Amino acid sequence: MIATGALILDTFREAFARRIFWGFFGCCTALLLFLLFILRIDVVAGALATVSIFGNTLPTTNVQNLVQQTQSVIAMILYFAGLGLSVFASAGLVSAMFEQGRIELLLSKPVSRVHLLLGRYTGNLLVVAANIVYLVAGSWIIFGVKTSVWGGGFLVSSLCTIFMFAVLLSVIVLVGVLWDSAAVAIMVTFAIMIVTPILAQKTTLERLLSSEWSRNVARLLYYVLPKTSDISVIIRRLILDQPVDSWMPVWSTAIFGGAALALGVWKFQRRSF
Amino acid sequence: MSDYAIETDGLTKVFRSRWSKRELKAVDDISLRVPRGSTYGLLGPNGAGKTTFVKMLLSCAHPTSGTARVFGDDTRHAGARQPIGYLPENHRFPTYMTGWGMLDFYGALSGLDANARRTRIPEMLELVGLEERAYHLRLGKYSKGMLQRVGLAQALLHRPKLLVLDEPSDGVDPVGRKHIRDVLHGLEREGVTIFLNSHLLAEVELFCREVAIIQKGKLALTGTVEELTQGSGYRLEATSAPERLQTELRAKARAASSNNGTIQLLYATREEANQAVDLLRSNGCEIESLGRTKSTLEEVFMKTVGAEG
Repeated sequence: MIATGALILDTFREAFARRIFWGFFGCCTALLLFLLFILRIDVVAGALATVSIFGNTLPTTNVQNLVQQTQSVIAMILYFAGLGLSVFASAGLVSAMFEQGRIELLLSKPVSRVHLLLGRYTGNLLVVAANIVYLVAGSWIIFGVKTSVWGGGFLVSSLCTIFMFAVLLSVIVLVGVLWDSAAVAIMVTFAIMIVTPILAQKTTLERLLSSEWSRNVARLLYYVLPKTSDISVIIRRLILDQPVDSWMPVWSTAIFGGAALALGVWKFQRRSF
Repeated sequence: MSDYAIETDGLTKVFRSRWSKRELKAVDDISLRVPRGSTYGLLGPNGAGKTTFVKMLLSCAHPTSGTARVFGDDTRHAGARQPIGYLPENHRFPTYMTGWGMLDFYGALSGLDANARRTRIPEMLELVGLEERAYHLRLGKYSKGMLQRVGLAQALLHRPKLLVLDEPSDGVDPVGRKHIRDVLHGLEREGVTIFLNSHLLAEVELFCREVAIIQKGKLALTGTVEELTQGSGYRLEATSAPERLQTELRAKARAASSNNGTIQLLYATREEANQAVDLLRSNGCEIESLGRTKSTLEEVFMKTVGAEG
């Protein structure tokens, strides 16, 4: 327990020192300040009176709809841009652990390799999760106070984003253990983030692919790789209080993440430094 | 309970190229016993396999074959590394940490709770001679010597029973080296086993009681420093020896020289040396000195490495 705490705390210290944490925190705070001061929502007797940004009045329907739509925009920004930034920032945190002269000292301590790697993984996940929770909970409170709409879908969406980051972080860990390179880890993770939304367009993709063989490969890749695009749809549906058609994207993505992390841990245990 | 702090049996490490079938045997079948409480030096030229050996001992590198045990336990098990304090060569302590913060982190990894760390950290920093103003300075601002000192403090923090030091005085000035040596002597008196990997032969000779020399991955020589540096001859120095006697003495000596009426003679055996003393005394000559010749560890090392190489 002492070692786990130390590993997590060390990851936070490194994130602070590399300005990663403060960079995220600054972006989140700027967005919260925007929601707090720039987006003006006037609700009179439970009905929406006016909505304005930078003093310009926007066409509106009802409070519930406005809040959910705005929350889904924030969630999508957080999901795609936030995840991209988090991957970029986290790759260095993982590979830094494998630097010569640093890893030997860590491995000489009475802590198992699994413990070391998972401690670093957890620390890294918490650095990003802390900022996601800060932004989502902060904006949820701001919307709630301004409009009295307290739907829980937006809060649940933050868990989905953290979950997706946990899966991508598993890829970063695996690539980091295999090649010690932050750059390669970023490239592989970004490739997954770019390719999987394309694979998610199954109908269009199958029309474009000429052979049955290539269609099978595309189908296989779709089911094996994490489903970033499908999970973003789930997030939107959760925020808009719409039913989720299938949870398959979540559990299949979880299996991928678990497998990548397990492979990373197995490789780390076998590796000589 | 094992009598040895370190035991390796047939420890071997072969590095294989990922793409070709080329192999490099970095450590070749090394079986070594380091007694508890000893001060043991590991010597060898660059690329001899010393660091790979140490890494296997600490389970940083996995042996291709053979085993490494510390106090009887296989070091692949995390718990077996509890009694080890380690200072690696070319360490890269995170520069964002302060000296205190670094010790706090590695102390926690070594299983010390917060209270123990709070007590031990200032003790250790004081022991290694780090000034108090440096405690909360970032490691990025430390000089090489300061990093070595704080690194040593890190290795000592959890009261290890075995200290593995890789070039501990690298970058440290002579005063600092003496200080580190004194600290290590203090630990030796407390019964801590010290395993020193150093290029500085004079330092090893001054500090270690036993040494092992590795050459091309193989164990080339082991023994106590005293045994290894003990010469096989006797040096005799006398004055007022007449020319005729000098010629007679030179005939039996392995080497001889004279200067300002003093003759220096080197004999291979004690018997020959005693005969020369008798002869000199019977001729009324004065014996200035008589003693066994000693080689330096450097001479032993060069002879071993040269012979093997």
